[in-house]
Amino acid sequence: MCNFRNLFAGLVLTFISSSILAEGRAGYYGYGKPATPTEIAGWDIDIRADGQGLPPGSGSVEDGEVIYEAKCAECHGSFGEGVGQFPVLAGGTGTLNAQRPLKTVGSYWAHTSTLWDYIRRAMPFMQPESLESDEVYALVAYVLYLNDLVDYDYVMTQDNFTDIQLANREHFVPDPRPDVHNTRCMENCKNAEDIKIVSIVRRPEPAPAEIAVAAESKPHAGEKIYNQYCVICHKAGVAGAPKKGDAKEWNTRLEAGMAVVTEHALKGYTGKSGVMPAKGGFMQLTDEEVRQAVQYLVEPNK
Amino acid sequence: MTHDKQKSGQVPDNEMSGSTVARRKVLLGGLGLMGGAAAGVLGMTPAVSAASNLPPNIPEWTRVLGSGVLTNPYGQPSPFESNVQRRTVDWLTPDRVASISFTPLADLKGIITPSGLVFERYHAGIPEVDPHQHRLMIHGMVDRPISLTMSDLMRFPSTSRIAFLECPANGGMEWRGAQMDGVQFTHGMLACCEWTGVLLSTLLAEVGVAKQASWILAEGADGAHMSRSIPMEKAMDDALIVYAQNGEALRPEQGYPVRLINPGWEGNTCVKWLRRLEVGDQPWYQREETSKYTDLMPDGNAREFTFVQECNSVITSPAPEKPLKHGKGKYWVEGLAWSGRGRIKHVDVSYDGGVTFREAKITSIVLPRALTRFGIELDWDGSPMLLQSRAVDETGYVQPTYQQLRDVRGTNSIYHKNAIHTWKVFPTGEVANVQLS
Ligand code: HEC
Ligand code: HEC
Repeated sequence: MCNFRNLFAGLVLTFISSSILAEGRAGYYGYGKPATPTEIAGWDIDIRADGQGLPPGSGSVEDGEVIYEAKCAECHGSFGEGVGQFPVLAGGTGTLNAQRPLKTVGSYWAHTSTLWDYIRRAMPFMQPESLESDEVYALVAYVLYLNDLVDYDYVMTQDNFTDIQLANREHFVPDPRPDVHNTRCMENCKNAEDIKIVSIVRRPEPAPAEIAVAAESKPHAGEKIYNQYCVICHKAGVAGAPKKGDAKEWNTRLEAGMAVVTEHALKGYTGKSGVMPAKGGFMQLTDEEVRQAVQYLVEPNK
Repeated sequence: MTHDKQKSGQVPDNEMSGSTVARRKVLLGGLGLMGGAAAGVLGMTPAVSAASNLPPNIPEWTRVLGSGVLTNPYGQPSPFESNVQRRTVDWLTPDRVASISFTPLADLKGIITPSGLVFERYHAGIPEVDPHQHRLMIHGMVDRPISLTMSDLMRFPSTSRIAFLECPANGGMEWRGAQMDGVQFTHGMLACCEWTGVLLSTLLAEVGVAKQASWILAEGADGAHMSRSIPMEKAMDDALIVYAQNGEALRPEQGYPVRLINPGWEGNTCVKWLRRLEVGDQPWYQREETSKYTDLMPDGNAREFTFVQECNSVITSPAPEKPLKHGKGKYWVEGLAWSGRGRIKHVDVSYDGGVTFREAKITSIVLPRALTRFGIELDWDGSPMLLQSRAVDETGYVQPTYQQLRDVRGTNSIYHKNAIHTWKVFPTGEVANVQLS
């Protein structure tokens, strides 16, 4: 009790003296408000390599598998192999000095903390910062498992977190640049006969003015919306979304009529292959914008 | 579009003034239908009315009144310029929310990039941040953690500087060979603006940084919470907490209402929609500084915290988008040079693939860590050329060749490709992107 009071008094004193000191100092303005511990706690989401910032909690590979299948596999694949162009999360060990390196959590990343931090901060892609701490622990454990770094019965906790060391950690080196040196030669810098064109890319259209006409004379109002919002799922077929350009699939769906299909896009729809969120999850879109996007989406590819 | 509508709305008032107006109305109607104003203008004007607008005739726009003030309360470029746009390359990313668009360098003049044409790069789309509810929090190893509103921030002493902004992956598609068909895509993750805000050092003085502090985490308010660790030296040197760009509030896609600018450093460190600065004593190893933005070397080691954007240059005209259109004769060849280490000292241009160079004129002001424009007069005899530019910065660093870069770094490092670039000019004046042995 007594100790506590002393500590408290000490804290108050420190606070007062530091702001008194500050006030006397050149360059101190006193603008803004002190950030309270609660405010900071709400936003301070970073995890450091030494585990600083980790919230209490735990998660098993087993739980991770279930969450991963539900929330991640649609983009990253059940084995972390990546669907379409979405990032590959597993494999690639031993490829870093190969012709085509495969950089993944297992083959390239330096710290487990980066995985914890990033999953909480940014994934799942469509719902960032929606995961509970235990879910993140479980997902981290599962992604490590996909990379053969832990066994299936592994449970990750705040306490054993720093035990896991990623193999590539020792292979990051400081920036040595400038590492490449040229000289300012003005004449006879090389032999003209030695010069060969080893690769070339020519523009299909000769003049940009014509490109403009071509690009703008046939705009599809829905194309922009589609590219901005719907492409995430409808290009690669994420979450069971019918792919753009899959004529057979769309013909079948359109048998119900354009109005029904459009209504499903507007209001959301759970069908046989998955869940179409209302407006794709982008509620800021107007109904008209979604309608235009649907029109573009169901069109056969050119 | 609004512009067109208002213009055509004006036509009836002038109906009396004869056939020119009638034709104008047809033209404008045509524009509306075509959807893109410039498309209409470019497609139709030459055939229908070019000759009658040329001397000795009096052009139609000279004989009628134009639209009045506030036709566009926020001014827009001429519809004839509608081709000057950011563009993307869809195969680069799986979607447009974590993606990139490129600055149309071939069409720009001087050194300042108009705000609406600055390339875009973000990882979770453009958040719609309400500036009244946005807060910038500074905490960690500081005496007084604070939370600032935008108006708090704007009370601090303000400073402006012109600096380039470049994605370290600029040109990264070309490590293995020529791949992109225009300067917009080979070099367009590049822009230069006047940035206005508060020096980060001012804010750090305000909160009182602990002696042992050596790194700062900068974090965005977007869905990606984009975050990078910034060394204290940069923070105390010239890092700027920016709220204005080219004289007005930041554009949403550039981080409205506030972002970090680290002059001369990787664009990715210039965190947008900045919500948090945490002071610490070691780097955080965020995803964007391990999985990405590290440079993989041929031996399998990767360089980390490769912040500076080294000296680079490119010819923007001629370029694939700007062929030589007038046959043999004189041309003004021009381009851009920049260095994250300071000022541009020289730019040399070669017409023969790097056998002979001659020094170009610097035609803009020369500022440290800013785009610098150069130009040189070419007297073209119509034979094929291999055009190159090579910049030298004030540290004496000379922009390297592809060979020199690859000898040290191989072809898998993605970032920081600043090789001397070559355009092949064909006798037709057409220009292609090439790489030489
Ligand atoms: C809708 C598709 C989608 C879903 C669902 C999704 N992700 Fe991602 N993920 C992405 C995209 C896109 C990126 C790359 C983002 C970028 O580059 O900014 C990414 C990046 C990642 C990365 C970093 C990869 C690297 O090599 O840098 C990890 C790790 C990751 N996701 C984990 C997860 C986990 C765990 C889940 C489930 C909770 C999940 N993701 C769900 C699309 C998705
Ligand atoms: C998060 C992923 C996702 C996004 C984003 C998304 N969709 Fe879908 N969409 C789906 C899935 C999954 C289905 C299939 C549902 C089923 O039939 O099981 C679907 C189905 C549809 C259908 C067919 C409905 C029917 O009746 O068969 C339309 C039309 C559609 N989406 C339009 C859109 C449009 C327009 C957008 C953008 C505004 C969009 N979607 C964005 C996942 C998505």
